[in-house]
Amino acid sequence: MRPQSLAIRLLPPFAGWCAVGATTLPAGSPLRVAPVAVFLLAGPGAAVLRICGPALRRHQAVGPVESWDGGFERDSDRLEQLVLAAFLSVGATLICATALMAAHAFSGIRVLVLLTVLTMLAACCPQLPGRTRTARASSPPQKGSPL
Amino acid sequence: MQQPATETGRPVAAPNQRDTSHPAMDLADLPAADHSHWPARLLLTAPLAGALALWAYAMVRTDTSRLGDFGLVGALPVAFWIALALLAVGFWVCVRDPLRANGWSLAYTVGLIVLERATQALVYPTPLYSWAWKHDAVIEHLLTAGGLQRGDQLGDMAVYDQWPGFFAAQAALVRLTGVENAAMYMAWWPLVSSLLLLTPLLLIYRTFTQDRRLIWTAVWLFYVANWVGQDYFSPQSLALALYLGVIAVVLRRGERPARGRRSRQVLWTALLIPLITAIVISHQLTPVMLVASLGVLCLTRRYRDWTLLITLLLVFLAWNLTASLPFLREAVPEMVSSFGDVSGNLETGYGSTPTGTGPVIVSWVSRILSASVLLLAAVGVLRGRVLRHRARPLLLLAAVPLLMLVANDYGSEMIFRVLLFMLPGACFFAAAALLPAVRPLAAEPGGHGVPQPAVGLRFAVLPGVVLLALTAAFVPSYSGKDRLSYFPPQEVALVQQVFDRAPQGSLVVAAHRNYPLAYASYWNVQHYWFLDDEKSHVEEIMKDPAGTLARDMAAVEPPARAYFLLTQGQIANSEMNGMLTGEQLRSIEKSVAASPLFERVGRNSAGVIYELKRTDSSPGRTS
Repeated sequence: MRPQSLAIRLLPPFAGWCAVGATTLPAGSPLRVAPVAVFLLAGPGAAVLRICGPALRRHQAVGPVESWDGGFERDSDRLEQLVLAAFLSVGATLICATALMAAHAFSGIRVLVLLTVLTMLAACCPQLPGRTRTARASSPPQKGSPL
Repeated sequence: MQQPATETGRPVAAPNQRDTSHPAMDLADLPAADHSHWPARLLLTAPLAGALALWAYAMVRTDTSRLGDFGLVGALPVAFWIALALLAVGFWVCVRDPLRANGWSLAYTVGLIVLERATQALVYPTPLYSWAWKHDAVIEHLLTAGGLQRGDQLGDMAVYDQWPGFFAAQAALVRLTGVENAAMYMAWWPLVSSLLLLTPLLLIYRTFTQDRRLIWTAVWLFYVANWVGQDYFSPQSLALALYLGVIAVVLRRGERPARGRRSRQVLWTALLIPLITAIVISHQLTPVMLVASLGVLCLTRRYRDWTLLITLLLVFLAWNLTASLPFLREAVPEMVSSFGDVSGNLETGYGSTPTGTGPVIVSWVSRILSASVLLLAAVGVLRGRVLRHRARPLLLLAAVPLLMLVANDYGSEMIFRVLLFMLPGACFFAAAALLPAVRPLAAEPGGHGVPQPAVGLRFAVLPGVVLLALTAAFVPSYSGKDRLSYFPPQEVALVQQVFDRAPQGSLVVAAHRNYPLAYASYWNVQHYWFLDDEKSHVEEIMKDPAGTLARDMAAVEPPARAYFLLTQGQIANSEMNGMLTGEQLRSIEKSVAASPLFERVGRNSAGVIYELKRTDSSPGRTS
């Protein structure tokens, strides 16, 4: 495994443990708030996307029929990764916190440790295999239409 | 003929004059910026920089100590309005060039979001909206209880323990950041929640067009038309962002799979399960809107894949038949009776009739703003045959929320929620109405869909004027009622006094729930807001205020106490929404003050607290 891939793989769980460590800092301190916020907003989602990345890239997404903007598809894919990383992380936080509340086992640090452990597990998983990319689908109208 | 310029200001051939043997390049592929064209850069930067500087100046100069009938509008200095105008004009100058780098439009849009949603956080020392304060109380309850509780322990407030996702996550955030409570940061939530919408909105629009003008103008219109105030510290604000995230991914990836290629759908569905679960456990209405949206997409040939919709229905049913069943068991009969009653579902209920010059004008401005955007959307749909065909899924998504008007009144708020969920689709077509019509690929020499330049009065100037007017209309629509939404620190301190002294089981009586901390300690302290009661009982209170209130409060058993609380937030809400006038409420207070049954225990510039004296001869007592 290349050092760069290893770093990308370990970054989300590392960010989680940094956030856990930051909770020992004084209440409300920016050095405490920033690592916690960054991990909760991106950590778990980034770990999941690393697993699915190659499989997701197998097929191109639906896009506009126009084709004059060369980097458009690439930028849209990046935006999609951003949306998924952020919202998967937020979703995971909501679900973990609710589960601990329902079990009457809630504490802030438990939520964070649970998310970090899940992120670590995701970092241990191999990537789903990818294949050659299929043709890009355009948004309606269907392929071949002059519209 | 006017030629578009790149981000460097360098003129390039108009799109329809370009050599079409090569697709037009992305801005990233263009030569590096030529710094000799600094005047063009300055032209693009100056309005944004000037707007932000003027806004910062306006924030320092705004005095919110005496809000009038027009809320924050009357308190904002001229500098704020100049800043807003500069921003809107600068945005249009920037965005009307179809080759302008996305970074410029992004900078202006973020500038707009900051001006719109951070202003209140900066000018008011305390968070707005009694509903936001209520949500802070729910988080306090979860932190105190350490778990979810059942209905018989919490009464009406148990509903929040049945959709706890947002509150549980906020409780974790409070603990992890170490802040005292969510009130420490909830004034900034409108800014955060609005920024969360930006990426999924862009992704949705980018599924249907490459025209940057159309994409960014639609985004701009969404932010200026979204005045309904659901961006405050609430589950629906986060659920809306997740909803748009799911829709964005479905529009890009949710195509009907070819035979033998279901693995792709399984993967995308699996990735979206955390998002839809988070929506289902956080909010009542958003999953229903999502079901309707996914359902209508499944009716189109392209998106006829039921995998995600069935998954959502399973998660939805699993939650509603277990965790939230107690609430639904009570609510279903009312839901059934209101189903199909469209006129009833459109009513906004008692206590929501704008009263007085300011509230009436503000109400009309917000209506005109919404009507203008919807009218523009209709024009965009009717005029743009090509776009209507290309973006049909977006058209369906804009229309499907209207079905909710048939289903339920959602606590007299359904019309606002329907408008909110229509906006993402409607704003796309509204933007299209302002721009040159989209041509079929076959009608264009290169066949690449290069956008036509926006030239002439109709397309180069008029859209800028429309954007300017709509942007200005946002401010009164969004913050024109701040007189009833803002609670000064004195009001917070006064209400806090009540809860500092109230023993467990005490009762707080007030005219209306519109005051800060109204739900504080709701698991220990009971509340009674008499303007929520039958009209006949309110009339009874008006006839003999002290006597009637004393009887209402007499059932409280020692050591618990009963308090009467009247604050400026209650008076403002009652006056501005057509309930009792300020004079009538003050006459009630005078009667209580003169009564030997009550004792004044607190007072400041924002209100007054009375305690019912504990005597054996209290009215209503069985003695």
